[in-house]
Amino acid sequence: MLAGLADLGHAYLGFLNFTSISYGLGGALLGIIVGCLPGLSATLCIALLTTLTIKLPANDAILILICSYVGTLYGGSRTAILLNIPGTAANAASCADGYALALRGEAGRAIGIATSGAFMGTLFGVLCLAAFTPVLAEVALSFGAYEFFWLALFGVAMSGTIVGNDPLKGWLMGALGLFVAQIGQEGLYAYDRFTFDWDQLSGGISLIPALVGAFGFAEVLTTLADPVERKLVELKDSVLPRFREVVQYWRTVLRSGVIGVLTGLMPGVGEDSGAWMSYAAAKAASKEKELFGKGSIDGLMAAETGDMASIPGHIIPALALGIPGSAPSAVLMAAMIIHGIQPGPMMMIQHPQFVYEVVAMTSLATVSILIFGLFLVKPLLLVLRIRRTVLMPVIFLLCTVGAYASASRLFDIYCMLVIGIGAFFLRRRGYQMAPFVLGLVLGPLLDKSLRRGLVLSDGSLAPFFSRPISLAFAVVTIFTLLLYVPAFKAAVRWVTGGTGSLLRAVFSRRGAREAGK
Amino acid sequence: MSEHGGPDPATLSPAETHALATTDLRGALGWLALGAAVLIGALRMDRLEAQNINPYTVPGLLPGLLGIVMMLLGGLLAARSWQRGARLRGLGGVRVDRTVAMRVATVVGLCTVFGAGLVGHGLPFWLAAAIFVSVAIVVLQAPQRAALGRGLTLRDVAVAVAVGLGAGGVITLVFQQIFLVRLP
Repeated sequence: MLAGLADLGHAYLGFLNFTSISYGLGGALLGIIVGCLPGLSATLCIALLTTLTIKLPANDAILILICSYVGTLYGGSRTAILLNIPGTAANAASCADGYALALRGEAGRAIGIATSGAFMGTLFGVLCLAAFTPVLAEVALSFGAYEFFWLALFGVAMSGTIVGNDPLKGWLMGALGLFVAQIGQEGLYAYDRFTFDWDQLSGGISLIPALVGAFGFAEVLTTLADPVERKLVELKDSVLPRFREVVQYWRTVLRSGVIGVLTGLMPGVGEDSGAWMSYAAAKAASKEKELFGKGSIDGLMAAETGDMASIPGHIIPALALGIPGSAPSAVLMAAMIIHGIQPGPMMMIQHPQFVYEVVAMTSLATVSILIFGLFLVKPLLLVLRIRRTVLMPVIFLLCTVGAYASASRLFDIYCMLVIGIGAFFLRRRGYQMAPFVLGLVLGPLLDKSLRRGLVLSDGSLAPFFSRPISLAFAVVTIFTLLLYVPAFKAAVRWVTGGTGSLLRAVFSRRGAREAGK
Repeated sequence: MSEHGGPDPATLSPAETHALATTDLRGALGWLALGAAVLIGALRMDRLEAQNINPYTVPGLLPGLLGIVMMLLGGLLAARSWQRGARLRGLGGVRVDRTVAMRVATVVGLCTVFGAGLVGHGLPFWLAAAIFVSVAIVVLQAPQRAALGRGLTLRDVAVAVAVGLGAGGVITLVFQQIFLVRLP
C-alpha cells in the first residue's frame, strides 16, 4: 500500500517538468481539435499519433496518446452542443440536452457544464484506475490458459451483445475479427494460415492499419456520403465551467462516475455505453424527467461524466489483463506494445511503476482539458468552420501515412483501403466495427490459450469449466449468448418475473404488517 | 465504441423492415459462404504430423471452429430474415440514394487511385499527396457548387491547389523531418 503510494508520488513528480507538460497539453489540444470535427474518432486520433510518436521515449509517447484520448472525447461535446452532431460516438447522449440549451441561447453554459462534468468524470475514473488496476493485475496473475480463453471469448461476446442494436451482427463481426487475426504466421509453429503463398500476408493484418481503415477511412466515406453542412449555433454566454452545478447535481456526478467506470471495465463496450447508461440512470432518478431531451442540466452532466469516467475504466482491463475496454484503448495497448511495454498480468512484475505513470498521465490529461475548457473554447471553434470537402481529403492523407508509418509497408496501405471500404458498407448494413476490432486484438490470445489449454489438459475440456474463474466467465458468456434464443429468454423472464413478484409480495406483506403495527 | 450508420429496426416502417430483411438475407448467404470457406480451409490445413506435434495444437483448430461459428450465426441471420419476410426475388434490398452512391464511388475511386496507384510508385510523396488533395477538393466541391447554380471558379481551383500543396508539404515535412518517419 505504502509502496504503491510512493510509486504514485514518484510518477506524479516525474511528469512535473516542462517537456512532459508541453506534450500533455499538446496531445490534449490535438485531441480536442479532432474531437470537435464530426466524423473523426478517438481511435483514429490515437492511431495517427501512435505513428507520429513512434520515435519518442515510451513515457512521452503514451502521455501524448492518453491526453489525446481524453481530449478527443471532451472535444466531441462541443460539436454535440453547437451542431447537434456528436463529435465522437461517445458524445451522442449529450446532443439532445446540449443542443436544446444552445438553441435557448445557453450554449456557453452547456459547454461549461460539459467541461465540469468531463473533469469530474475523468477525475473519478483516475481514482478508480489508481485503486483497482494493481488489485486486478494481482488477481490476473492466477489466470492460466483456460481463464484467458474464456476472457477473450467473453470480451468478444459482450462487445457483440452491447454495441449496436443487433447482437447477431455483433457476434458475426466478432467472429470475423477473430478470423482475420488468424491470417498469417501462427504463434506456436510459425505455420502460414490463409496466406495463399503470398509473403505479405505472412506478417498478418496489423492492428494499426486495420483500425485506421475501420475508423478513419470508413469515417471519411461516411462523412462525405452525407453532404449536408449544418449551421453552427452562435456562442453568446460565458463558457466557464459550472462547479456550482457539480455540487448541486453531486448525486448524478457520483452515479455517472461509477456507471462510467463499470461500463469501461466491460471489454469492447465503448465510451458511448457509459454515457447512455449514465443518462438513462439519471433520467430514472431525476425529479425533472420531463426536462430530459429538452435542455436538462442533469442529463448533460450525466452524459458527459459517464463517457469521460469510462476512459480510465477502459484503461484498467487493458493494463491489468491485456484486454482493451474500447477501440481507442486497443490502439493505446498496441502503442504500449510497440514501445516495449506488454500490458497484462505480468505488468505489475515487469513494469510495476508503469501503472502509476499511466495514472499520472491521465491526471495530467484531466487538468489539460480543464485548462482548455477555461481558456481556449472560442478559438477552437474556428476548426468547425472548415468545409468537409477540404478537410476529409487531408484526413485521408493522414490515414495513409498512419497506416504506412508503423511498419513502412505499402501492403498496410492496401489493408487499410480494403478494411475501410468493407467497414463502410458493413456499417451501413448495421454491422458494428467494435466487436471486429476486439476480435482482431483478442484473436491471437484466444488461439494460443485454446491450444495451450488443450495440451495441458491432454485434450480434456473439463478444466475449461471446472476452475472457478473459468467457470464464472463460461457461465456469463454462455448465458449472454443464450439470451438470444427466444425460448431461453422467455424462461429467464419467467424466472426473474416470478422471483420479482415473490419478493414484491413478501415486502408488501411486511410493509402492510409494519403499517398495521 | 459504437458507430453510426446502422439502421435501427425499431424505428423502421414495414416496407423498410422487409428491405432490411432482404439485405440481411443476402448478407447471411455471404456469411454462410465465408464460414464454409474458412472451415474447408482449416480442414485442408497441414496438421504438421511430420513434425510430430501434439494433435491438439494443429494450426487449423481455431479457424475451423470459427468457420463453424460463422455458419451457425449466418444460418440464424438467414432464418431471422426469412421470418421477417425476406425473399431473394421480388424485393430489393435497402435502397441507396443515387447521389450518395455516386459520391461514395467517387471518393472510393479517388482514395484507391491515391493509396494503391500514386503512393510508392516513383512519385515523391509530397507531390502525390498534393495531386490527390487538390483533385479531391475540386471533384467533391463541383457538385455542391452546381447545386447552388454556379460552377467552380479559377479561384476555387487555385485554393484547392494551394491546400493540396500545403497539406502535402507540411505532412511530409512533419513526419519525415521532425518525427523521422520514412514516407513511401
